[in-house]
Amino acid sequence: MDPSQFQSDKMTFSVLTSSAPVMAPRLGKLALAGRKTLSTPHYIPLTSRGTVPHIAHDMLRKETSLNSLYIGLEDFITKRNPSPVYNIPVTEDESPLRKFICATDDMPIILAPRRFPAIPCPPNNTDTSIAILTSVGFRQLPAHQYLDSIRSLKPDIAIGLADIVYGREPGVKRRAKMVDRTHAFTQDALERLYGRSVPADQKQKPTGTAYFAPVLPLDNAQQSIYLDDLQDELKSHVSGLALYESASLAQIPESLGDLPRLLLSQPGGPHDLLRDVSLGGDLLTLPFVGECSDAGIALDFTFPAASDVNGSVSQPKALGIDLWSADTAKDVSALSEGCQCYACRKHHRAYFNHLLNAKEMAAWALLQMHNYHVMDVFFAGVRDSIQRGTFEEDVQSFSRMYVSELPQRTGEGPRLRGYQLQAGPHKRGPRVYGRLDDVSQKFAESQSSVATPDTDASGLEHHGFAAKV
Amino acid sequence: MSADAQLKAMPSALTLHHHAKCSTTKARASTLDLPHGSVPLPIFMPVATQASLKGLTYDQLRDTGCMLCLNNTYHLGLKPGQEVLDAVGGAHKLQGWDRNLLTDSGGFQMVSLLKLATVTEEGVRFLSPHDGSPMLLTPEHSISLQNSIGSDIIMQLDDVIATTSPDHARIKEAMERSVRWLDRCIDAHKNPETQNLFCIIQGGLDLELRKQCCAEMVARDTPGIAIGGLSGGEAKEEFCKVVDTCTGLLPEHKPRYVMGVGYPEDIVVAVALGADMFDCVWPTRTARFGNAIVSAGTINLRNSSYANDFSPIEEGCTCTCCRPTDQGGLGLTKAYMHHVTAKETVGAHLLTVHNVHYMLTLMGAARQAIIEDRYPAFIRKFFSDIYQGDKTKYPEWAVGALRGVGMDLLED
Repeated sequence: MDPSQFQSDKMTFSVLTSSAPVMAPRLGKLALAGRKTLSTPHYIPLTSRGTVPHIAHDMLRKETSLNSLYIGLEDFITKRNPSPVYNIPVTEDESPLRKFICATDDMPIILAPRRFPAIPCPPNNTDTSIAILTSVGFRQLPAHQYLDSIRSLKPDIAIGLADIVYGREPGVKRRAKMVDRTHAFTQDALERLYGRSVPADQKQKPTGTAYFAPVLPLDNAQQSIYLDDLQDELKSHVSGLALYESASLAQIPESLGDLPRLLLSQPGGPHDLLRDVSLGGDLLTLPFVGECSDAGIALDFTFPAASDVNGSVSQPKALGIDLWSADTAKDVSALSEGCQCYACRKHHRAYFNHLLNAKEMAAWALLQMHNYHVMDVFFAGVRDSIQRGTFEEDVQSFSRMYVSELPQRTGEGPRLRGYQLQAGPHKRGPRVYGRLDDVSQKFAESQSSVATPDTDASGLEHHGFAAKV
Repeated sequence: MSADAQLKAMPSALTLHHHAKCSTTKARASTLDLPHGSVPLPIFMPVATQASLKGLTYDQLRDTGCMLCLNNTYHLGLKPGQEVLDAVGGAHKLQGWDRNLLTDSGGFQMVSLLKLATVTEEGVRFLSPHDGSPMLLTPEHSISLQNSIGSDIIMQLDDVIATTSPDHARIKEAMERSVRWLDRCIDAHKNPETQNLFCIIQGGLDLELRKQCCAEMVARDTPGIAIGGLSGGEAKEEFCKVVDTCTGLLPEHKPRYVMGVGYPEDIVVAVALGADMFDCVWPTRTARFGNAIVSAGTINLRNSSYANDFSPIEEGCTCTCCRPTDQGGLGLTKAYMHHVTAKETVGAHLLTVHNVHYMLTLMGAARQAIIEDRYPAFIRKFFSDIYQGDKTKYPEWAVGALRGVGMDLLED
């Protein structure tokens, strides 16, 4: 099959490799008018309240290559009505959302109703709305309000509303409802955003936003009515597909093969990513990157894996370095050898170990820059490998070279806010107040026995702080 | 106790070039050449307590124009500790900062962080806040640690007590002990050619004690001189008297550092009293609480009144955050800062950038005013901006202190 091209008013997606439309790795270019072009497969950086966590805007512009932003509308919903994001004064063509979060003009912005990963909400979705978690509590986001937001906030890409059940497996009846509701949401959205049947006086200005229709994390058979409709009636207005599990990659109908596929899943690490790419994923989300940065773990892998000098692989390498480890306390080497990221150019492992121990925010900022850089290089390697036609072999040698799991989290991360907390049992971190209680007790004891307690010379000298009297 | 107890001549790793002196007040504009670059004086020094300025990268700090920042010996001594500092090759290398560093001696933290510290002639006895083990910090330890840190300016260990202490005998003892400890510090200092040891004038709010201390310490000829023991909650009138008295006795050719100060108003007045260097955690700490320093005072961006305010944090501010995008800035709005402040670490980073830049710009403007011999007019404008021109609201301590150096703040 020849390389395909999908084109809408504002977006062009060209598949550069001639291969089967689904279930195979593919190279693509996603071009949005006036924005940076994305070479796929690539990842979409996740944001929180309009920022890539820990990376200040100036550092993001100067020292990272992040070239798109995934934004959850729920981060912008406040008690006020309308929320501030809708009030910012803009010119005709400006996106209020872009302006509100102070993103550069060329940054592709992808709007979704919810953050990713989304936190399960106790309220249920309804036929006309979905439950969301804002920083001021749970709310319902009505479908029409989301459409209004797409129209007014003018993101480059909008991910359609879907009835997704988070945190548990939906039952049979619920699954049927998911399909019905999502089908209805999509039909309604496309009609209202792009439709012709809307009477002229009610019709809003045509939107410049590319609409990515959701594909539910269900079997093909269960959502066949919806997928059929996507292929026929709705296809003309759909610019891409948003998938919620990698299994969905295998279910995409051939006639939708020219659409870009954004996979909203939670890969456990690079091995999962390679699988998703090999199934034809174009745009991927990587929650593990931020989790590693928070945990003090620097990613350390390349694709294709650098071939071992000795020829044979003795022991699989770790995928990252835990900088909480005391082994790094005096280690003045870069996070990854030869890494060109800001953090590696400027700092060494010993500094990270110190920053983590001192609970300094800079640790997370610098690690985040490093970890995203590792992913930039990784995806560039993936694209080269597909281009060369060696992807399959490269994946095999990668899985031989590296262990399967990312390092275990050992240290504490930043304090988490309610809207950042994941489902299930979680800890906000140990109690920090009252930690001197123990000390004062010891002091009282020592004072009662000896007037001025003598220093334990050996231990404290080692500490280098105070010692021998 | 006398000056002829002096043990060795002090080499100096700094030079101070005077550019101008205010013809009315005692304000001075100069340039301080240190091993890691030149610092324009008067200057505010942001505090990177634990070898990191609260989430900023050192390029962000550099962008604010900062040439000299602080580390705390107390904190670096506990984490990462001397062994690591030696292995890494000092604090510059630890944190990747190639401009100047100043470290305090750890004495102040001992007193302010640990209510459980006791001071003896030997040194400060305290319990490690991390494992509870009893420790003794001597002047020798402090200098040894600061030698390992490798900071460009190091401070003597002093006997710090609250200025508000009613115990006059204890204040006198602390002053005299600080002089004795200075001798021990000078003696223990291994790198006088590359690190500048500053003495710290003590003596509480007693001007007689301060005078005695100045005489003793000036005789010891350290490269620079600090006025310590302030910023402990004393009345501002008293604070100004102490600074004024000390600067009157200090040699012209040495930098004068008022420790732990502070608020823009305090600094602007203290500059008029002849001080050159200031440090305080307030601008960076308050940033993390959502407060932005602006010419009209401070504003708390968490306040809901800013939720729909789409103007920059301060109109005309040249910091990376406030500068419009067409001038290479980020063009951030109050509304967006309201959206992220106290919710995302990035909010703290950005406000810290703004506040540090504000303080450094304020100092730069003060310096320029001194050079152009219009510092009194600068001070009047500064107070007028804060109090919207309402002279009845001007703080009496500032009016009094400035009158003492020949300037009427209330004049038009």
